[in-house]
This record gives sequence, C-alpha cells and structure tokens, in this order.
Amino acid sequence: MSEIMLSVDSLTVKYGEMTAVDNVSMIIHKGEMVSVLGPNSSGKTTLMNTIAGLNSPCGGEISLEGRSLNGLSSDKIVELGVSLVPQGGRCFSRMSVFDNLMVGSYSKRSRRSAKSSLDRVYELFPVLYEKRSQPAGSLSGGQRQMVAIGRALMSCPRLLLFDELSLGLAPVVIKDIYSAIKHISREEDTAIVMVEQDTKRAMKMTDRTYIMLKGNVVLEGRPAELSDDAVKKAYFGS
Amino acid sequence: MMKKIKGHIQEAVLLLLFISCLLPWCMGILSNNAMRYMIRIFLYITIGEMWNLMSGYAGMTSLGQQAFIGLAGYSMAVATTVYKLHYAVGLAAGAAVSLCTAALLALLLMRMKGMYFAITTWVAAEALGTFFTGWRYVNQGAGMNITIVPYPRTGELYPAALILCAVALASTILLLRSSLGLGLTAMRDDASAAASLGVNVGRNKLIVYLIAALFTSLAGAVFFINKGTIYPDSGFSISWTISVVFIVIIGGIGTVEGPVVGSVVYVLLYEYLAHYPGWSNIILGVFSILVILFMPKGIVGFVSGKQHRSLIIR
Amino acid sequence: MYILQVIINGILLGSIYAMLGLGMSLILGIVKLTNLSHGEFVILGSYCSVLFSARLGIDPFISLLITVPVMFVCGYVLQRVLINHAMSRGAEPALLVTFGLSIILKDGMLLLFSSDARHVSAGYSNRVIKIFGLDISLLNILLMLLSVLSILLLMLFLNHTYMGRAIRAAADDVEAARLSGINIGRTFSVAMGLSAATAAIAGFCVSMKWTFYPSSGGRYLLIAFVIVVLGGLGDIRGTLLSGFFFGLIQVIGGANYGLLISYIFMIIVLVASPAHSAGSISEK
Repeated sequence: MSEIMLSVDSLTVKYGEMTAVDNVSMIIHKGEMVSVLGPNSSGKTTLMNTIAGLNSPCGGEISLEGRSLNGLSSDKIVELGVSLVPQGGRCFSRMSVFDNLMVGSYSKRSRRSAKSSLDRVYELFPVLYEKRSQPAGSLSGGQRQMVAIGRALMSCPRLLLFDELSLGLAPVVIKDIYSAIKHISREEDTAIVMVEQDTKRAMKMTDRTYIMLKGNVVLEGRPAELSDDAVKKAYFGS
Repeated sequence: MMKKIKGHIQEAVLLLLFISCLLPWCMGILSNNAMRYMIRIFLYITIGEMWNLMSGYAGMTSLGQQAFIGLAGYSMAVATTVYKLHYAVGLAAGAAVSLCTAALLALLLMRMKGMYFAITTWVAAEALGTFFTGWRYVNQGAGMNITIVPYPRTGELYPAALILCAVALASTILLLRSSLGLGLTAMRDDASAAASLGVNVGRNKLIVYLIAALFTSLAGAVFFINKGTIYPDSGFSISWTISVVFIVIIGGIGTVEGPVVGSVVYVLLYEYLAHYPGWSNIILGVFSILVILFMPKGIVGFVSGKQHRSLIIR
Repeated sequence: MYILQVIINGILLGSIYAMLGLGMSLILGIVKLTNLSHGEFVILGSYCSVLFSARLGIDPFISLLITVPVMFVCGYVLQRVLINHAMSRGAEPALLVTFGLSIILKDGMLLLFSSDARHVSAGYSNRVIKIFGLDISLLNILLMLLSVLSILLLMLFLNHTYMGRAIRAAADDVEAARLSGINIGRTFSVAMGLSAATAAIAGFCVSMKWTFYPSSGGRYLLIAFVIVVLGGLGDIRGTLLSGFFFGLIQVIGGANYGLLISYIFMIIVLVASPAHSAGSISEK
C-alpha cells in the first residue's frame, strides 16, 4: 500500500482564460481505492481527462511510478497502464459488445492476454456474454456502462479512473456495478480513482477521499477520519 | 479603445492607398502595362474580399464563385456585342443576371453547410460551364470576341476597376462593423449559440451570399472587357477558385487586409510563374498548403501577430 | 429479355461505381473529411495501371498487385504528414488542403502524362460471352468480380482485425477511441490508405472501361459524391447499394441523361434530408 502509483504535483489546467484545475496535488498508492468528490464544475472531470492525456496541463507534473506523463498522448498513457472510463461510458454504439471489448485490448501490451482478459470480463459481467454479438447501442444504460468498464479492463490497467459511473443509473444497477468494482480492486490489485457526486456511497467504499471545489482540493483524508461537518463545509465552501 | 483607433488607422491606410492609386492616373504618368497590372490587382481584391467575406466570416466556403464571373462576362458580351449597347449597360446586365441566378441557387444553398455547400457551388458552376459549352447562341465552346464601339481604353477601365475595388472594400468594412457583421462573427464562432442569441443566421448568410455574387460578377465583367474574349473554359473555370483561395489564404483569411496583400502577391507571382508553363498551379497549390499549415492567418496575421501581440488588449 | 440484359449490365457497371463511392464514403465516415482530391486519386490509379501494364508488359489485372500497395502508401503518407495537421486547424483548412492537393495532382499528371486520352485494353477486352441467351461482356464480369473481392477483403479487415476495429471505433467516437489506447493519427492514416487503395481499384476499372485524361478527376469526384450522398453518409452498405443503383440509372438513362438524372436525385436527397443541412456530420 505504501508505494506511490500516481502522483499529481501542483497541476494547473486552463481552457482559454478559464482555470479549470488550479494547483492541485494528489497521490494514489498502488492497489489503493481513492474517491474524488465535489459539486458540479469543480474540476474533477478535467483532472481525470488530463491524467488520461486528453487535455494538456499548463503547469505542474503528473507522473506514473516516477515517470512523467506530461506531453504523452492518450494512447501512450493507456499503453503505460492507465485507463479512464469517461462520463457516460461512451460505448461505440454501432459496434457489437464483443468488438467494443476487443477495442479495449488494442494497446500492444494487452493484446497477448486479450483472450484471458475477455474471459475475466465475461465472468464479471455475465450479461455481456449473453449479448456479445448485439450492437452496444441497443443495450440499457447500465449494460453500456458495463461495456465501458469491461473495455477499460481489457487494456490490463494498473490504474483505473472512473468518471461519474453512477450518473443516471438506477440504484439497483449502481449496486451491481459498485460490487464489480470492489471485486476488481481486490482481485486484480488495480489502483482505482472514482470521481463521484454520490458522496456517501463513494466515501464508504474508498480508502481515501479528496474533495474538490472550484478547481482546488479543499479537503483530503480517510473517510472515517473526516467529520460530516468538515465534509459539508468543504462542499459548500465557507 | 484600441479597437477604435485601429479601425481609424485601417480607414486612413485604405484612403491613402486609394489616393495613391488615383493620383498617378490623374497625372497620366501610368503606362498601359502598369495599368493592366493594377486593374488585375483591383479585380482580384474585389473577388478576394467577397470570397473572404463568405468563407472567412460567414462560414460559407464556396468553390463555385466562377459561376458569377462567367455569367456576368457572357451577359456583358451579349449586351455589347449582339445588342450594341454601352458597356455600362453590359455591366448592369451582368450584375442583374448573376443576382437572379444567385437568388435561385440560394434556395438550395441556404439549406446546406460545410462541404455540401462547397460541392454544390462547384457543381452549379460546372453545370453552367457545360451548358454554355453546348449553347449555340454564344458560339458553344469557341466563345465570343467582345466588340464594343468604341472599345474602352485601358485608361478608362483603370478608374472603373479602382472604384469597384474601393466600393467593395468599403462595403466589406461597413458590413463587418454593422450589427449584421457582428452577427456574422458570432455565427462563424458558434452558429447555434449565435442563433440562440437572436442572430438571424439564415438572413445574414443570404445577404452575404448576394452581395458577394454582385461584386464578384461586376469584377468578372470588367475582367472580360479588359480581356476582349470570353469562352466557357475561361469564364467558368475552376482556376478562378484556385486563384481566389490562394489570394485569401496567402493574405490572411478572416482579415480585411488579407485579400489586398494576397492579390498583390498573386499578380506578381503569377507574372513570374508564367516562365514555367504547367507548373504555375502546382506551385500555387504547394504554397497555399504550406501557408495553411504554417501561417494559418496568412501574411497579414503573421506580420500583425509579430507587431501587435503586446498591444492587443482584450 | 432486353430488360433483363439492361439490369444485368447495370449491376455489373454498378460494382465499379460502388468502388468509386466506397473510398470517399470511408473517409467521410471515419475521418469526417471531404477529400476533394479523391477524383485525382482515382485517375492516378488509372495512370498507374497504364504505366505498369504497358511498361512491364504484364496483364492489367496483375498490375494491380503493384498499384494498390503503392496507392495505399501514398494515401497513408499524405494523411500522416499533411492532412492530419490541417485537420487540427479545423474543418475548412482541411477541405482547402485537399482542394490544393487535387490541383497539384491534376497539373502534375498533366506534366507527366500530357493531356492525351488514355485507355487500357487487353486481349479479352471486347469478348462477349453468352449466358442463358444473354450477351454479357467478359470484361464487365471480371471487373465485377474484382470489385466484389475487394469489398469482401475490406469488410474482413474492418470486422476482424485490431486495426479494423480501431478504425470503426474512431468513426464512432474519437475521444473514447483515444481513451481505449488507439493512436488516432495512425488510424486515420490507415483509413486514408485504404481509401486511396479502393480509388486505385476504381481507377483501374475506369482505365479498362473508358478513356480518361489528367482532368477527368473532377468528374469522378462528383460521381463518388453523388453515390455517397444517395447511400447515406459513411454507411458502407448504403454506398454499395447506391453504387449499383447509380449503375442501373446510367445504363437505363444512357450517356446523356444518366448523369443528369443522378444529379437531380442527389439534389432531392440533399434538400429533403435534414441530416445534410444544419449540424451535419461534417461539422463535428
């Protein structure tokens, strides 16, 4: 648990004149499960996208096991073992479930183990096996989210980022998906970062929590050690 | 504040240019050859400004403005050669025919965007060219020799071209400063946002399209008076679009000064390239691509970017 | 009997038109770019088949073994070093770059090959075979087989290889494809390579079937465009169907009216379908 997987050091990201992430630092240990919470437009999604290489930072450093990720393109970052499940899953709706999953193992590192990864994904989400030849666009919202998670798993990640997994899903489905993620964290020894709006559930699940507000980290710590008051205060910014 | 001063500088420079083009003519010290060059520059500026207005500001990239050049050229040729009318009437006829055609085409084009717009304008111009190639009344592919009695001398066409160019420039500047122009800029940046702000996108596009057709056709008609002959392959040629794309891109797309600079560069370069037959379009093509990739704001953007970077306050 | 003959000829010809539309459809659907130099790619393919079959003295069909890989590499390199950069500057610059490219290619071919009309013929070019009492040109059948084979190979590639899936994924959602570890620049370049390769095959058919000049590209660009619009954007199956439909119209309408009828069809589709006006695919 002690070894550092990902470190984000005073990261700043801007969209034109607007600063979306302002001097944020964060550390994820190996095999750890961390939640990043905060209200809308607090910079969580931007932070995730920047780690995954979709945005380029205008200051600060992101490094994976001591290796800088700054300036690397998304495909290189996936190759290094970081996968992001973006908001809404974003399946390739015209492709079959099977093809969606196979796209996940595009990176060279993961191609060799594609077959065993596929079996693992089907084991985790049996419904995907049943619907493997259907176009992903025909699935329900929860199933599409499963396809997205499965696609990310196919790349054999060592660090998985989830952006608002539960958004727009029914509580029953959320429960299923969360238990699958717990399983991934336990069995695969994968570090996990979850961006969530559902504070309670996320804090219950994760080892540590960061709370962001207006592009800054305003609170961090172990969920058990954070008082409700402190969390509330951080959320509404006093 | 800065913007206002910059605007006045723009006007002053253009006025100065206008006077410095007009004065030598009044004094009669320009050779016929020099005047011919200048006329071509004036006409290319006019056509370039109009294409720039469409592509650089209104987001309508046309590949078929030669439709209006050819139509106006032929209308003028028929009016003067067949009906023996004064060439001013010929110019008016050219403008009228082009405007009517533009209005008809607009029925189709105003529903299209991006590449559909581009390709449809091109198809329309090609279709007109094919039609004129087969039309016996205008001598089919062999074309017409334009006879006007008395034929206007170069010294007479010079002020006509200069004034046309000045009016086109002034109209462009006024248009861009009007609420319509502001709407255009908003539209180029984000059409749906502009529409939600109450900018009538469709109407603005239509107005720009018609104005462009008007000035482009006038420039085309003057060009063919100067040339003396017209045939389908010169009137409706895609090489008009090649030239105008080159002029606007090289000069600086989305700037008023761009086509002016681009036209001067183009006419001089073209003269030089005439020594290398067959290569001229290739060189122009390579040049344009390099500019798009490495100097996306053209010469004007490159120069002003260097000078005013510290001055621009927003 | 006559009607059957017309339909069969139309379908045979249609496979050439399907090839013509296919390359453009690929680029529109995947790269979301209108390649205005597609017609020149086709004619370049035609000149390659003239060049290789005449110079090397081999059967025109064999010359494809050289032409297709060469054109694939040309398309790949063009996208990689040129068009990807232009696309990062926006849709209009990319459109203008392909326009510039079409001019360079056209005038380049004019310099290299002169403006003379060219045609490729083999010993079997004019042979006619009788099937069930119908006269069918052997050449048409061979070209049809070639097209169908190419289309099948392309489908296999797109459906069953990593790169093929990556191409389809990028067509669907570029950002999600990136997050799955796909190098978009390379994927687009392969797509352009494939498009150029299909253009080469279409150009080969053109050179066997009709005469062509360096300036014929514009005509084939327009035909490809008509077929793609009729078939629905980036929809490969639709493109194939509309290719056959187009072939049928050409045979029924004859040389003069065939093209005109298809232009009218295209305009009706363009005006009637909302997908082509506001918020169309090219605006993404």
